[in-house]
Amino acid sequence: MVLRSKILWFFVGALLLVTLLFLGIKPNEVVDFATDVKPILNKHCISCHGGVKKNGGFSVLFESQALGLTESGKPAIIPGSARKSELIQRLHHTDPELRMPYQKTPLSADEIKILTDWIDQGAKWGTHWAYLPVEKIELPKVTTVFEEKKFIKNPIDHFIAARMADKKLLPNSPAPKNIIARRLAFDITGLPPDPDLFRSFVGNKITYENYVDSLFTSSTYGEKWASWWLDLARYADTMGFEKDPGRTIWHYRDWVIKALNRDLPYNQFTIEQLAGDLLPDPSVDQLIATAFHRNTMNNDEGGTDDEEYRVAAVIDRVNTTFDVWQSTTMSCVQCHSHPYDPFRHKEYYNVMAFFNNTRDEDISDESPNVIDYKPVDRQKIDNVLNWVSTHADADQEKLFKDFILFEEPNYAAHHFEVIDNAFVYGPNFGLRKGGATIIKNVNTLGQPKLYLKFVGRSNRSKLVFRKNGINGEIIGEFKISKNDKNRQGQLITSIDISRETEVFDLYVQLQTQDNTLEKEHVLVRWIAFMPELPGKGKPGYAKMNKNLSEVLNIKGDLTPVMVENPEHMKRKTHVFDRGNWMVKMEEVKPGVPLTLNPWKERWENNRLGFAKWLVDEKNPLTARTLVNRVWYQIFGKGLVSTLEDMGTMADPPSHPALLDWLSYELMHSMDWSVKKLIKTLLMSATYRQSSEVSQEKLAVDPNNLFYARGPRLRLTAEEIRDQALHVSGLLSDKMYGPGVMPPQPDGIWEHVYLGNLWKTSEGDDRYRRGIYTYLKRTSPYPSMITFDAGSREVCLVRRSPTNTPLQALVTMNDPVYLEAAMQFAVAHEDKESKAAIIEMYQKATLRKVDDDKLKYLLGLYEESKSTFENNPEQLEDFFGLGQLTDVKTASLAIIANAIMNLDEFLTHG
Amino acid sequence: MDKIKKLLAEQRAVEAQFNSRRHFLKDCTLGLGGLALGSFLNSCSSGSPKVPAYTTDRSLNPMAAMPAPYLPKVKSVIYLHMVGAPSQLELFDYKPELAKLHNQPCPPSLLDSKKFAFIQGVPNMLGPQATFNREGETGNWVSNHLPHFKKVIDEVAFLKAVHTDQFNHGPAQMLMHTGSPRNGRPSIGSWVTYGLGSENNNLPGFVVLTSGGTPDAGKSVWGSGFLPSVYQGVQCRSKGDPVLYLKDPKGVSRNLKKKVLSSINNINLKEYQKFGDPEVLTRINQYEMAYRMQVSVPKVMDIDKEPDSIKEMYGVEPGKEAFANNCLLARKMVEQGVRFVQLYDWGWDSHGASPSGALDTGFVKKCKETDRPIAALILDLKQRGLLDETLIVWGGEFGRTPMWENRLGIQNSPGRDHQGDAFTMWMAGGGIKKGAVHGKTDEIGYTGIEGRVSVHDIQATILHLLGFNHEQFTYDFQGRPFRLTDVEGHVINEILA
Repeated sequence: MVLRSKILWFFVGALLLVTLLFLGIKPNEVVDFATDVKPILNKHCISCHGGVKKNGGFSVLFESQALGLTESGKPAIIPGSARKSELIQRLHHTDPELRMPYQKTPLSADEIKILTDWIDQGAKWGTHWAYLPVEKIELPKVTTVFEEKKFIKNPIDHFIAARMADKKLLPNSPAPKNIIARRLAFDITGLPPDPDLFRSFVGNKITYENYVDSLFTSSTYGEKWASWWLDLARYADTMGFEKDPGRTIWHYRDWVIKALNRDLPYNQFTIEQLAGDLLPDPSVDQLIATAFHRNTMNNDEGGTDDEEYRVAAVIDRVNTTFDVWQSTTMSCVQCHSHPYDPFRHKEYYNVMAFFNNTRDEDISDESPNVIDYKPVDRQKIDNVLNWVSTHADADQEKLFKDFILFEEPNYAAHHFEVIDNAFVYGPNFGLRKGGATIIKNVNTLGQPKLYLKFVGRSNRSKLVFRKNGINGEIIGEFKISKNDKNRQGQLITSIDISRETEVFDLYVQLQTQDNTLEKEHVLVRWIAFMPELPGKGKPGYAKMNKNLSEVLNIKGDLTPVMVENPEHMKRKTHVFDRGNWMVKMEEVKPGVPLTLNPWKERWENNRLGFAKWLVDEKNPLTARTLVNRVWYQIFGKGLVSTLEDMGTMADPPSHPALLDWLSYELMHSMDWSVKKLIKTLLMSATYRQSSEVSQEKLAVDPNNLFYARGPRLRLTAEEIRDQALHVSGLLSDKMYGPGVMPPQPDGIWEHVYLGNLWKTSEGDDRYRRGIYTYLKRTSPYPSMITFDAGSREVCLVRRSPTNTPLQALVTMNDPVYLEAAMQFAVAHEDKESKAAIIEMYQKATLRKVDDDKLKYLLGLYEESKSTFENNPEQLEDFFGLGQLTDVKTASLAIIANAIMNLDEFLTHG
Repeated sequence: MDKIKKLLAEQRAVEAQFNSRRHFLKDCTLGLGGLALGSFLNSCSSGSPKVPAYTTDRSLNPMAAMPAPYLPKVKSVIYLHMVGAPSQLELFDYKPELAKLHNQPCPPSLLDSKKFAFIQGVPNMLGPQATFNREGETGNWVSNHLPHFKKVIDEVAFLKAVHTDQFNHGPAQMLMHTGSPRNGRPSIGSWVTYGLGSENNNLPGFVVLTSGGTPDAGKSVWGSGFLPSVYQGVQCRSKGDPVLYLKDPKGVSRNLKKKVLSSINNINLKEYQKFGDPEVLTRINQYEMAYRMQVSVPKVMDIDKEPDSIKEMYGVEPGKEAFANNCLLARKMVEQGVRFVQLYDWGWDSHGASPSGALDTGFVKKCKETDRPIAALILDLKQRGLLDETLIVWGGEFGRTPMWENRLGIQNSPGRDHQGDAFTMWMAGGGIKKGAVHGKTDEIGYTGIEGRVSVHDIQATILHLLGFNHEQFTYDFQGRPFRLTDVEGHVINEILA
């Protein structure tokens, strides 16, 4: 009886529910701020009542503002009473002047009901999902049909199956082994697999996991994934802007490749790039890692204000840091509080304060740089530093180390002003007869040595350094001599000066016996103040002093790096009024946005601490961002489809629990290993599916949001080129080093007064992987751009894949592809033509050719053959390769060219 | 009350239209990758809901023409950029008072808190290096350096007080063409082709023609920034392949190429039948288009076949990279339905530090090279009835100072430094008020005192004439909507017909 009544009640309840649903009436469920209310506020209210505008003194951006008093003196929201709340009244108003949203479409009844219920339920504020810490996630249960289909290979499949089941979708069967082998090879190494490895896998000699692991051990993995990271890091081989001159920063590119290959955990990877220079006794590698943020553009155009572009670089560093690690559009906060997300205007500048104290100042020599010293030079430097550490304390040692490695801290020429017959231009100031310059507020810290880096052009002149006036007290003098040509113009040397403990204005004056007024006697790049080499009077001191002078003048490859200002040179950071760097408002201290994870006292109050904050387990965005972006690389779309943004305007995640499961495991069981993260995705059955799609599936899920089929992505710009060189046997496996210049058409690099600098590389360097191609920001390698690679001027979170006629022209006509096609043909010219075609197709696509397709290829071969037999003159300079080609090879080259344009060649299957 | 209601109703209709359009653009283009982000968007084909995005024209062809959201005045734009910034004081902005100050030291009040690119210390003033006359029925001023231009002066509307906050070439050119002084944003031609597509799919929709060299800011001035790369400017060159990789390889005849192409497409069709991926169909379509482009681009780039009278009119030099040739090409392109033709003519940076950059030598030569072709372009478009549906924009990236530049403290040949505060631009063609003059500078042409317009105003006006509201024409990138005019810009109604 009891049982029966329970069943009865169950039925009545169910009926009631069904009726309610049928009538479209929902019971008053608890309204959730983040998922129900916030989207409505963002859509209808926040553009006039948010971070940018606060009309009527009302804003719905922060809880305190939303519930606080408005201009009318009353709050607009009264928790617990929608009826009394002005916000709700205004939604119902009949007067168009008063009804909200003002002059816009009214809210729907459903939307009004949600807001009303929310206020009646107490107007409880909530946190957007992406700002909540990542928690451990349990795996969802899987229905038997997925188990029967053997779909569950790893935890990812639990989440995917659960959503698929919701949509009544079933997974595709696994892709054939040859297809998945090629897909995996491209996803891990960006290249087709090694033939032996491929055969072992397809021939069942090794497992799927063995195959994946083998690919991960190849150093080609780092080269493939570096492309992804370098897009984010806006890495290029030039400085950008007008002249767009070259810069040597390829050591950083090599650092990324190596870091990925040794699987440097992502938290450490982050810390070294953002703050490697602030780690205790950093290695040269850790310094080079900091070039991440020296990839900002540097404006070398004549007459530009260096401070303006220094500030622009710092702003770019803040924005890029948030784009790369936080999926947050911090750039919005530069001018005002975030329009949608809970970030305050001031917080932008708190973050900027972390980045605002590096020595770089948009000088055209990109200082500070670190030199790639030869071991013998390294030894000399160590000798000097050992001497210093033997005779002085650690602080002194650091002082000398920084000065030797970076020539810092110095006062650069652009801080000087012209008094008379002098100029300040580019990285130097120059003095003519009787000329003088001044730099204000110099602090020598009482040091007895003045160092200067200069080019001397006279033997009859001297520089006179004076204090506080053009006729002021002389603190030191320097006799100029013409620099030795072998020194590449620049020389660093020192003079003794009187010890000055106060801050003063320094005048630099040129005195000469020469009579011409126009002659430049000296160009000065910087001056610096240093102590004497410690250990005076000790045996060997004089020699060590000479060694110091020698190591300061060692030349070598430079890499721009981050170096922090010393205490007496620290810049203050101010809020910029509406983001305008010229209008400085209140001063701010370094700090992190309150919405995100709290700051820990033990962290250093500088970039290093900031980097630690970023990779703290409590940071809600770092792991989620990485997971989402790696997922995009493998599946062609993000779990959060707005890859750039996880804020409140972002699309909700398609699989929120999966995103969090992966993020949690990344930080814990995977110890931030990027290789493990990628491998987890690749081991899933979700990934292994065939990419075939039926019309029915396409109709239900055209964009594969539910992953009921495998990804079928077009290869990237680098992959398409590398693959063509690889299958034809041309690809060089040489790694690292300066950017190379493979053939490109004449007249691409035109700069009116810098000349044409593209010098086609010789030998191996013609055929290096695309990652090594020299990237000039204002004129990137044309075929790469055509296939959607970026020009790396700013951080690029994703490349937008396109499909255009210009791409067809590249793969059909670009000499790089023609040479590859010819080489591919030559390798098969000894075979009987049909066998050659079958083999070429198979080598290129790792598939057996179908009869239908073979028929077309054979037909094309015959057409080519008869064309060439009838027109032998066409073979004289076939493909423009400068040599006579025989009919068969030329016909096979046509086939090779066609194969390299097939969809199965251009996509990863 | 009724009036208010009506206005509100209209405003809503506009909004609805805009929203659906914005989604159309956004989703259809992102959907180019087929599997990327596009979705089952009803708005992609307003008539028939439930048609997947990939079957619309835009996904098969990202350059498919689309109607403008508002009634457009023109179909295409020819933008003539004089790279280096021509001196307004020797062309259009007549300043007799400045002549009186010639070679006198500049009053300190003009230098207070001013920043210059090259002027250091106290420079002298430099009087106009030209004579001026009133020309045409409107009687607008023009200098003796432009004898041909005076014939078309009545077609033109002048903006005499344009200003920019950038006074270095690279950033100023970027601002002029992308709305931001820093690299990374799409150029105006990219925005326009993204929004409107192209009327002729056998030619690129956004063509760039250069003479004298590449602009200082490099190819970024016609880059697509964050828009899909298909919308970047395609440089059509006078030497080598007119479009990169356009020419068939040596030894491959047109006929054989056709066979290659049909084999590729036949095999790709098989691939589509097996995998069902609509992106394969797009690829097939793109290969066909590439093949057609190989024919039509060389054809449009060939000026030899033009009648002698036309060649004479422009003063072309076939086979060379010349501004005159580019003007004639621009006409041919818009005739063929190319949406945006961008000309860059390098060599206008008249500092006076060298003869080629002096106002009495190099500058005069530049005027000669460009004067006849520009007048010819206007007349030729007019005689073909195309001027009404084309917008011509002329200008540099900033103006030049009334002071004589003293680079590194030395006064050379007559030359002027960079000036952002006031310079002249002009527009002609559809929707433009003929003969209008808007804006006025002070007695020495140093600052605008009336009718000042900004670079973003120019951009807003160009977009307006093409049928866009510049404030509504946005694209989401890095999580926020971007627009060409950033957060600025007003349409310059004073020069609109």
